[in-house]
Amino acid sequence: MVESGAGAGDLLLHDFERILHDDPNIDEVGFLHPTQMDSLPLLGSNKSPYLWCSDHKLAISTHVLPDLYRAARQAHSKAATTSPSADAPALIMLHSKALLILCPDSFTAWNSRKKVLSADHNLTQLEAELQFCALILSYALKNESTWSHRRWVITKLAQSHQDMPQIIDKESVLVKQIAEKSKMNYRAWRHRCWLIPYMKPKQVLDELNKSIKWGELHVADNCCFHYRRSLLLALLDNRSEENGGDTLHWESEAHLLWTEELRWNEMLIRRYQGRESLWTHRRFLSQWWVQRLLSHEETGLSKEESLADIFLGQEIQLLSDCLDAPGDEFGETRIQAELAALYILWISKQDAVVKRKVEERLELLGSLKEVLAKACPGKSRLWTQLLQC
Amino acid sequence: MGEPGELAADEHVRYIVTAEKKKDSFESLVMEHLRLSGAYWGLTTLDLLHKLQAVDAREVVDWIMSCYHPESGGFAGNVGHDPHVLYTLSAVQVLCLFDRLDVLDVDKIADYVAGLQKEDGSFAGDIWGEVDTRFSYISICTLSLLHRLHKINVEKAVEYIVSCKNLDGGFGAMPGGESHAGQIFCCVGALAITGSLHHVDRDLLGWWLCERQCRDGGLNGRPEKLADVCYSWWVLSSLIMIDRVHWIDKEKLAKFILNCQDKENGGISDRPDNAVDIYHTYFGVAGLSLMEYPGVKPMDPAYALPLDVVNRIFLRKQQ
Repeated sequence: MVESGAGAGDLLLHDFERILHDDPNIDEVGFLHPTQMDSLPLLGSNKSPYLWCSDHKLAISTHVLPDLYRAARQAHSKAATTSPSADAPALIMLHSKALLILCPDSFTAWNSRKKVLSADHNLTQLEAELQFCALILSYALKNESTWSHRRWVITKLAQSHQDMPQIIDKESVLVKQIAEKSKMNYRAWRHRCWLIPYMKPKQVLDELNKSIKWGELHVADNCCFHYRRSLLLALLDNRSEENGGDTLHWESEAHLLWTEELRWNEMLIRRYQGRESLWTHRRFLSQWWVQRLLSHEETGLSKEESLADIFLGQEIQLLSDCLDAPGDEFGETRIQAELAALYILWISKQDAVVKRKVEERLELLGSLKEVLAKACPGKSRLWTQLLQC
Repeated sequence: MGEPGELAADEHVRYIVTAEKKKDSFESLVMEHLRLSGAYWGLTTLDLLHKLQAVDAREVVDWIMSCYHPESGGFAGNVGHDPHVLYTLSAVQVLCLFDRLDVLDVDKIADYVAGLQKEDGSFAGDIWGEVDTRFSYISICTLSLLHRLHKINVEKAVEYIVSCKNLDGGFGAMPGGESHAGQIFCCVGALAITGSLHHVDRDLLGWWLCERQCRDGGLNGRPEKLADVCYSWWVLSSLIMIDRVHWIDKEKLAKFILNCQDKENGGISDRPDNAVDIYHTYFGVAGLSLMEYPGVKPMDPAYALPLDVVNRIFLRKQQ
């Protein structure tokens, strides 16, 4: 540790907080081993050997973390619990910032900031708070308390009628960057889903378009596909409310949207073998689609060959292609066949009519049970039960 | 030390009892805000292994009460922190283990939890308003253990949870949130406690939960993720509550958990050969308990407490 003595931690905290004060635009924090600290460029004399900041990059030596943390916690606790004074808010903001950089989980410190921010309605401060959250999220990418605090700030901004479309755009960019650094980050994507109710239909469509490329580059990331599902459902909800009088127009738009998503998803499934998230997405798409096609048949809108039959025929063809694919050394085609067979089981479970139609079309490949037995023997416990219920 | 493939119960007990004493590392310091949950994980594991007497009950109860905020009625994760329902449930659960609910101002705590219910039936975790289905479970579980469920609008609470159901049968953190095994446990647990499991499509949810079993026998929490010992609890307990646990391969799962043990120094990790921690030690042992592993007390899948503890609470009430 640093030189022993009660004041060592306080001196460190003092230096640390001065750095934070002098550069409010720090955008990266690193916790470095003392030997790594030694290799950083010198920044002139009288600087602490344990702290380093240049070009908005902050480095803290792991050697002093416990002492620095204790000092920050103590200073924060003192500022937050002593009787209110004129400089208390500034002290709370100062010490909680130091504490949270060291320990983003300290939700008590986040709360103390909420208290200060609630008392003083200051938009600039709220925006600065978003920047501070982004700094923490740049290295604590899954930190629950930070994401939650960020939502609290955004709710405040929304209440003061800030430009929500612009805020949402910025949040989307942030989530995208964080999601690239940490795959399947539930908390980051939850944040993005949480914003959907704030979106107008046009922005929902924009978000759908923007996440296409990302989905293609991260086919194993179920979160992104879930986000797309939420957007699609939001669009259906919105449109059915807004376009009450223009049903036919919206019908054809929804039709187009869904066929396009199904086509895109099939292309990815054929390109990337054995990806569970792609098949999960297809289950969702088909479920809605089949229901829709069937309801059209009931109302007699479709007079030509049954669209549901054509669709189911295409899906069986997809299964057949997956079952016939030659094996590979990574076992991906085997997983692909398993996922395809379970997908057909999923469709067949929609209702009795669909089940009958699927079974008729399966004939050449064998019964559904035979297909499952061949493609997923390891999951027999599951599908045997599902076939019975 | 046990034979390979067996539960190293004594080593796990020793690990938990001594972990309590290593509080000075930076890793422990940054975890101090959730020490009450840590206490719940560690002490429940001890109880499951019939070793709760290895700790001084009075000392534990005194410390728990030092985390209490009498003005709000909630518990903080540690002394000097803000109250939150997360730690309020942990406090109540630990006091249940020691049969010491008598130290509580039950109505004050129940009012704190009930006061966090929103108009739409959802629950915030604290006064700052973040809503999550986890908090619905926590609130309902806490109130039920305190025999105070009548303090909330149960119907609305159930309605909100049902609104978080997805087309895949699972549940997320909020309406439209991605299905996640941890969130599913919370929603199914809350529905079980309130007698509302008829809202669950058991076959559909059972299917989703069974697909969490990976090739190595372990369970994951979402599609495409690696298996992790903690999901042994979240997924298994949910499967038991909806009566679909026979759909997965329990033998393979038990092997996976046992392979995650540090048989020498005790403790269980998230997956084989990783570093152990209290959290995964608890979920590993709790998972084995749900599979009726010999020598481990049976667990209640909804209240996340040993069955005898839950029985004591509800049978006494009836008397």
